[in-house]
Amino acid sequence: MIYLVFWLISIFGLAMALGTVLAKNLVHAALYLIAFFFVIACQFVMLEAEFLAAIQVLIYIGAVAILILFGIMLTRNVQGDETTTVLWPARIPAAVAGLCVVGGLVYGIGAQAGLHNQPAWSELAQRPTSAPAYDKSGKPLPSLRVRAINDMGRIVGNEMMTRFVIPFEVAGLLLTAALVGAIALAQLEGSEETPRPGTTTSAGVTTGGGTPPPGPESEPVLTPVSEAR
Amino acid sequence: MNFAASWAVPLVWAQYFAPTEISFLLAVKWFLWLAVAFFGLYPLIVAYMVWAERKVAARFQDRIGPNRVGPLGLLQPIADLIKLITKEDIVPRTADGLVHLLAPILLIISAFMVLAVVPLGLGYLDSDTRQWRGIVPVDPPAGLVYLLAVSSISTLGVFLAGWSSRNKYSLLGAMRAVAQLISYEIPQVLATIPIVLWTGSLSLVVMMNKQLEYGWFLFSPPGLLAFAILTIASIAEVNRTPFDLPEAESEIIAGYHTEYSGMRFGLFFLAEYMSVFGVSCLGTVLFLGGGTLPFTTFPFLTILTETSFSYILCNVLSVSLFAIKVLGYIFLMFWIRVTLPRMRVDRLMNFSWKVLIPLSIVNILIAAIWYEFVLRPPVHSYWNIPLLLFSLPIDANVVEGWLVTLVLVLLSVWGMLRIFRGTTSVPQVMPAPRVALRPTAAR
Repeated sequence: MIYLVFWLISIFGLAMALGTVLAKNLVHAALYLIAFFFVIACQFVMLEAEFLAAIQVLIYIGAVAILILFGIMLTRNVQGDETTTVLWPARIPAAVAGLCVVGGLVYGIGAQAGLHNQPAWSELAQRPTSAPAYDKSGKPLPSLRVRAINDMGRIVGNEMMTRFVIPFEVAGLLLTAALVGAIALAQLEGSEETPRPGTTTSAGVTTGGGTPPPGPESEPVLTPVSEAR
Repeated sequence: MNFAASWAVPLVWAQYFAPTEISFLLAVKWFLWLAVAFFGLYPLIVAYMVWAERKVAARFQDRIGPNRVGPLGLLQPIADLIKLITKEDIVPRTADGLVHLLAPILLIISAFMVLAVVPLGLGYLDSDTRQWRGIVPVDPPAGLVYLLAVSSISTLGVFLAGWSSRNKYSLLGAMRAVAQLISYEIPQVLATIPIVLWTGSLSLVVMMNKQLEYGWFLFSPPGLLAFAILTIASIAEVNRTPFDLPEAESEIIAGYHTEYSGMRFGLFFLAEYMSVFGVSCLGTVLFLGGGTLPFTTFPFLTILTETSFSYILCNVLSVSLFAIKVLGYIFLMFWIRVTLPRMRVDRLMNFSWKVLIPLSIVNILIAAIWYEFVLRPPVHSYWNIPLLLFSLPIDANVVEGWLVTLVLVLLSVWGMLRIFRGTTSVPQVMPAPRVALRPTAAR
């Protein structure tokens, strides 16, 4: 039964992935991608990892997809219609390369091929872990797998703070760098554009940039009338 | 009583049976409860929320509100529903038809899915762990993350609504709406972190249980601040005044739902009020105990005996308490709507990024301090506070916790607002051309 569900969801997911690359309208392609993200979340649920499924929806659909749509929105091609069309023979090399990648993956995963002199990737799940095996009173805790399924947030947090703390911190560093870069770019653009009269830009950049340059507008307009008398 | 008990059993005990032990009849009864709730009860609640909002707004504005259609205007939502169903669905010819249909569907999906993990009552008391299982359709161990994840799908629905209408006003409304929604999602998530810290779990049912032990999480300075931040962020997430710039009628026609009419607009309406109900339920469960009285397990453990009648009574009581709290929260949101004017879009964004986010991060630290003072396994206080002399039934840890965290909370709120006042941009009106008041030429 679960295999039937798996096949149905996977075929639907592949259809969505194909829609992403074959759609003519850019926003439609983004929508297909969102459906594909959701299918990945369903795969996580089938693997008994609903915490990861929720995180997948939260991050990918709630943030990354919105970012993609924002990016489309800020270009001239907001309606998504002005995409380049390619004649179908030009897609053949791409299809061949894709099929070769699929073949390589299917062979590698099916034959559980690992690197030379190393165990297969699928046996990595049985490595020892730093999660505690006994609780404070000395009673043995349930197996790690049971605990991971029942309380995945705690186990993932534990692993991220002990064994995987360096990748965690590096990822945080990467995100911080991206954030700082984005703010720097926004500041740079904010100081370059000339502000329109009547508004100021926000803090840090506005010194005298907000007041309109003194010009003919500030001269009184009534003098010509009074001098014409 | 046997017949009633056999129908009430799936509702109360649904979380107890492992998936392999459910008989077909039990599953059918459970499905019927779900169908009644999701297709009957929640839309009815939403329809009468609309009625309640109109009445409340009317009374605040010194008028009566709908009173013609049925006694007290109670049939007004039915009349509105019939009107919306029978209206023509006008879709612009150049609009993207499928996406135009998909957008309100995404919003409704998001609004309904939020309600799947909220415990409406206490449910079944598990005898070995002494934890209540909660009346909830499903209780995943990461329930809070699931709830925040599905409420972020509504952002997508709003954008697609504005984009698919091929209308500049709709697109503008959609852009503003998405900017607002993603900005206020962060304080909403960060405001729930103190609760996760205090309970050590992401499951809403566990949070409800812990409030039986620790008292409502509202009654602590960091809890109060987190409640305030969650309320403000939730009001912004559901696009209600004072954050309803995306759908403001006087600003950009109707924003992202300009080109929607008939039942498609009805779906937007339904989704918005359902989201209001959803965030009220979330705030109630996280901060107000969700079905329990503060600081006590009365009357549930005293009423509870082995009979199924006592279980039903317990649950009726807890669901009623939950309903009262949710109604109060919803009334608070209506009250804020009729009182406050709309925020300007740049002030709105400033407020989220420059005040609410730093404040919610500082609040996490203060919540950790509260945890160390009050919620850790009891360690006697390090110095004797004179309160103990008067033998008041107050734990000295709680007093210390209040003293320290209240000072920190007030300091951080004052500090953030000071910083905010220094950075906000005030549009400078161009100085009027200076007219020299010279005497006119000789006349």
